[in-house]
Formats: sequence, structure tokens, C-alpha cells
Amino acid sequence: MTAPAAGTLTVQALSQLRHELRTPINQIIGYCEMLLEDAGGPEQVGRRGALEEALAAVRDALGRIDQALPPGRSDVRPAEAETLSDTLQVPRERILRATESLLGDGERAFVADVRKIRSAAERLGVVGPAVATPPRATPAPGTPRSSPPPPTPAPSAPSHPAAAAGAASAPTTPARILVVDDIEDNRAVLDRRLARQGHAVTCASSGGAALELLAAQPFDLVLLDVMMPELDGFAVLERIKASPATRDVPVIMISALDDMASVVRCIEGGAEDYLPKPFDPVLLKARIGACLEKKRLRDRELAYLAEVERLMAAAREVETGEYRIGALAEVTARGDELGRLARVFDGMAAGVKAREERLQGQLHDLRREIAAAQAAPAAEEGAGATRLVTGQVFAGRYEILKTLGAGGMGVVYRARDRELGEDVAIKLVHAELLHGDETAVQRLKAETRLARRISHRNVVRTHHFGECDGAYYVTMEFVEGMTLRQLMDTRGRLGVPAALAIGTQLAEALEVAHGQGVIHRDIKPQNLLLDAAGVLKVMDFGIARLAEHTTVLTQAGMIVGTPAYMAPEQLLGEDVDGRSDLYAAGVVLYECLTGRLPFAAQSPISLIAKLLRDDPVPPADLNPEIPRPLSALIVQLLAKKPEERAATAGGLSRVLASLG
Amino acid sequence: MPKILLVEDNEMNRDMLSRRLQRKGFEVEMATDGRQGVTMAQAAPYDLILMDMSLPEIDGWEAARQLRAAPSTQQVPIIALTAHAMSGDREKAIEAGCDDYDTKPIELERLLGKMRALLDRNGGA
Repeated sequence: MTAPAAGTLTVQALSQLRHELRTPINQIIGYCEMLLEDAGGPEQVGRRGALEEALAAVRDALGRIDQALPPGRSDVRPAEAETLSDTLQVPRERILRATESLLGDGERAFVADVRKIRSAAERLGVVGPAVATPPRATPAPGTPRSSPPPPTPAPSAPSHPAAAAGAASAPTTPARILVVDDIEDNRAVLDRRLARQGHAVTCASSGGAALELLAAQPFDLVLLDVMMPELDGFAVLERIKASPATRDVPVIMISALDDMASVVRCIEGGAEDYLPKPFDPVLLKARIGACLEKKRLRDRELAYLAEVERLMAAAREVETGEYRIGALAEVTARGDELGRLARVFDGMAAGVKAREERLQGQLHDLRREIAAAQAAPAAEEGAGATRLVTGQVFAGRYEILKTLGAGGMGVVYRARDRELGEDVAIKLVHAELLHGDETAVQRLKAETRLARRISHRNVVRTHHFGECDGAYYVTMEFVEGMTLRQLMDTRGRLGVPAALAIGTQLAEALEVAHGQGVIHRDIKPQNLLLDAAGVLKVMDFGIARLAEHTTVLTQAGMIVGTPAYMAPEQLLGEDVDGRSDLYAAGVVLYECLTGRLPFAAQSPISLIAKLLRDDPVPPADLNPEIPRPLSALIVQLLAKKPEERAATAGGLSRVLASLG
Repeated sequence: MPKILLVEDNEMNRDMLSRRLQRKGFEVEMATDGRQGVTMAQAAPYDLILMDMSLPEIDGWEAARQLRAAPSTQQVPIIALTAHAMSGDREKAIEAGCDDYDTKPIELERLLGKMRALLDRNGGA
């Protein structure tokens, strides 16, 4: 047997349909024939006529069934079954009319059998929920039908092709439906029809009762009559749509009013659909199906969006450090892509958290070192090089507050920016570096512009490049704290956690800068600022470039202080890239952990010679507290050839994090 | 007088068909589901079984198979009755061990013809 086509009844439902249609026919024929056998006498001509009429009617019914459902046919759509059920009303009415007069017959056994015929006729065309065919209302025996007999389309032609092709042919999902109508008969008809389609039906006889029910229990759909006393359908609709609790429940309005104005009013009021009375059962079923399907999709979408929102909230929690690992358990349990995303997210959040905790421990140690260094008496520095004096207003907007230090590139001041109302650092560049050379000035401008692109918590923000009375300056973020140079000068070598905190932050700053195409070229403890919280900030991105155009060998002492942090390729004037900064980071880490430089000499020239020739003593040989992998990493950073060092700052940052 | 077992769950069908058969001179006993039908057929000899196929407990197909499998009921002719009127039903009934098949609504003369044919066959054997 072939499988049923899409949108057609299942083999089982079709089998049940055939059974339910034929069973009453079998009974009617059987009893009629039996009673006819008994009605042979001339005085029983009336009985015979009635029974023959009933037999003719039931054979007509059988003909309709056989025509619509020939034995070999398996592709029957539910709408066709409903149409067939409708057409059987004609023979059914005929049987009931024909046998009505026989009920008055005096003979008890005969009347009992007539009742059986009529009882079977009542069930003619009434099929059960598996076929999902709404039956016609069954009037009590002997009472005339209140509505006119239904139209009788050709038995095999579906009366509603559109509905048959649409939602009516799809299997109906059972739903909780609230029927609101003030007329009892209307409620009863809808109740029975919908219950036969497998829905759970609740009825309300007034708008007020409907609203109470809606407040008390969930519904999937409301069928709402428009014309009701007191609270009419429009008012009920308005209240349903006004309440957040019931707003999303779809409402289909049913009314005998079919003027366009009331249709518009219902749709504008938020109703899903509108059906005029007397409603067509096929259309009703199709529209209920469509309505429920829409709601089901909407509910599913809302649930999905809610879980996406939970994931987003979790991401925000990770940012603020409040995320609890496993808090997404419900989302991670999903089998779909969203679940997979949540699982990856949860795992990553766990990694971030563990790393964060390690870093916190390292920072804690670093902060202790800083606090101890700040407690020590500060040396008076850079006073001799000062060109600006405290209280002076420079470049028309910067009030000089303090000299912060002097270095190879120039003197740094703390100043109050009167325009922005905040403190900044100003670096006044040594005039010798520029030599009145316009090309050098342009280069410095270009480098500053590049440096301004770097925005990272571990990089001192560069604000502005300017010139005033022939003096060139750079303004930048002011950081309250000390340089790593000052820290080490005060405290000597640092503990492993504090050094790791510095190394990790330095590597992160370099990763971001290198990603923007900016090489620092002069990483050294004097350029690494530490605030009281232990946050490291790299300064002077871009400025060091100026030094490259001076002759290191002859002017090294004056210009860059010491070549101790410079990579061999940089000293030799070869091509410089991010790996040169990594070499410098290696020297900084070496010094942090051992309290000395990898190479030391009396003169710059002998230093450079050593630096180009000798291998450094592994840091762990000088300080047994240093883990061997960390020691080996530093030695690798100090490799003479750039290709033998860590490839990228990002890679270094991750290795350092893993060592913590 | 041939003794018939009518296995039919629908009360009205049972009432109607049993009375019509009795009028034609058959002795009719009735079972209301497949299990009861099998039990009764094994407990007493019947000349013929009329078996509705849509039955509760065990359905007509299964009941027919059980009757064919038991030595005491192996030879009893069975006529399957269904209201399904689906093509293939007849073959299915024969396959399950029924001797013949008829559809509802029952045309009494047609059914009686089939019954007599089977009774004659068994009686003549």
C-alpha cells in the first residue's frame, strides 16, 4: 500500500472514515429490509411506502459515499471528507422525514426498530475526531431544523477548494480554545465542532465571564462573538489586547454583522481574523488552524529570542565580572546552534574567569611592590633639564603643575589643560632631535597620528602634537603612578607574579599596537608606567622613531640613554618589526626577575659588542624562584635573530598567561 | 439448523444481522469482541463464523489468525465483514485465514449465498 500524499488523510483515518460512514448505512438498510419483510399485508401499504422511501434515501447516501470514496482511493483530503459529510445531510433528512410517521404506529417492537433506523440516520455523515470532520448539529427527533438545509454540491467536488488546499488540509494541533457567545445554541454548536477536532473547549456566556476565564487560565485562541449584551465583543477585544497577560492570545471575531466597518474595527482592534455568521465550518477550521499555527510560530520565536537575550545578558555579566559559570544550563542543553553557541560561550567564560583570577593575584603582588616604592623617599629628578616652570601657562592652555621626568627624548610635565579641565602629560621634545628639520617634524606628526589610533587600557593615550615658539610637544593621558624604572630602582628585583603581571600587560599593549601597524622601538622600564592599581601603561609610542636618525654608536648615551633594551637588528640599523619590541620586552622581564640586565658593560660600545655576541645567562640560574619555562621563554625572546623569538605579541601574551 | 457465531461489537449491527439470520433459519450466537469470539469458537463447535474486522481487544484479522492456528477451529469457515470497503481488504482477509469476505452495508442475499457455499463445502466434505 502506498503512503498517503501530503495533506491527505492517513490510511488509518481513511479506514475509520469509511467505517463510520458505512456503519449507519448498514444498520438502516438492514432494519428497513427486515421491517419490509414483515410489512407484506395490504393494510401495511403506508409502512411499506415509508420504509421504501427510507431505503431509497439510504441507497442514495451509499451512492454518494461510493462515488466520493471508491475502494481503491487513498488520497482523500480532510476537506473532501467534510464535503461528503455535508452532502449526506440530504439523504439523512429524507430518512428522518420518511420514518417520522412510523413512530406513531401502535406496535411496540416495530416502533423500537424504527427508532433504531432513526438513531442510525442521526449518525449518518457524522464522523469522529480522527477524521477531524465537524458534524452538522443534530436536531432532536421530530423537531424541525432551525436553519435551512445546507447546499448540496456535487459529491466528489470539494466545496472549498481554497480551504482544502490550505490550512484545512493540514493536521490540526489540539488547542485550548475559549468560545464567547451569549447564545447557548451557538456556544453548543461551536463547542461540539471544536471538541470533535480534538480541541479543549471552554465556553463563556458573556464578555465579563470571558475576561475572568482569561485571567485565570491560559488559552491558545479566543472565538469572540461581537454582538453581546453589556460588554460587547469590541470591548472584550479591547481589554484582551490592553492586558500584557492576554495580549498575545489570538482572537477570531464571529458575528452576523458582515459590514466592512465592523470587520475593519475588529482587525484594527487587534483581532487575528473575522468570520461572518452563519459561519462555514470548513472556513472556520481553516482559519483556526492558520491562527494556531501563527501563534505557535510566534511563541517559538519569542522563546528563542528570550534565550538569545539570556546569552547576551550573560555576555554583559562576563564583562562586569558577575557571570556565574553554568548559569546558562538551560540554554546549553539545547540541541541546536544556539545551544552550541552557549556551550562554547560558557567554556570561554570559564577560561576568561580563571585567567582573570590569576591576573588578579599577580596584580596584587605588583600593587604591593608599588605601594612600598611609593613609601620610599622620591629622588628629585630631571630638575636640571626643566625648561618650563611650575605655574607657567604653555601654548595658551596648559598650566604646568610639575616636572615628571626627563629622558632621551625630552622632558615630561604634568599640566592642567584649561580647555578640557583635566590633567595631561606634556612631553617637550628636545630641540636637538629635530635640528630644525622639517622632514623630522613631519615624521613625528605622522607617528603621533598613528599612535593616536591605539586605544587600549595598557597604552598611554596620545592626544595631540603641537608646536609653540619653536618647541615641539606631544600631549598625552596623565597617569598617576610611577615608571617601572622607579619601581625597580626602589624595590630591586620583583617577584614572579608581579613580573608576570607586567609581562602580560606589556604583551597585550604590543599586540594591539602591532595590530595597528605601530612599532614602539623603545620599550624600556622608563616608558612603562604603573598606576596604583597595578595597571601598566606603555608610553611614547611613535616618539622613539626620531632616535633612529641619530647615530646610535656615537650619540647613544645622549639620545636613548642606553642601548641595553634594543634588539641587535635595531642596533645594526637593519629592518625593524614587532619582534624588535618583543626583544625589548624580554630584556624588561629579565631585569624585573633578576634585578640586572642580560648584558652589562662599562661603555656603550663594549655593551653593544656583548649584546651582539654573547648569550645571556638564563634568568633561572640567577634566581631559582623563576620557573624554568618562564626562564626559557625570556632567553628565547633575547634571541639574536628575530625569527627565533616568539612570532607575535599575541602569542607571547597567551604563553605568559598560561605560565601564571 | 446451521449454527453461526456472529462476532460483532456494534450492538445495532448485531441485533439486526442476528435477527435476519434467525429468520432465515440459522441458529445464531454472538460475541462482542475478538477475544470472546476466539474463546467461544474453541469452546463449542460452530458451522460458520461471521467476523467483523473492526473489533476491540483483538481485531478480526488477529482473531482469524488465532482460529486458523488452533486445531479445534482450523476447519470452521470464516467470513470477514468490513465496512472499510478498501481495495486489498479481501486479499488481506484471505491471507489472515478467512474463507470469504463481504462488505457492509450487507446485502443479505449476497451474504447468504456466500454462507451457503461454505456450509455446503464443509457439509459435503
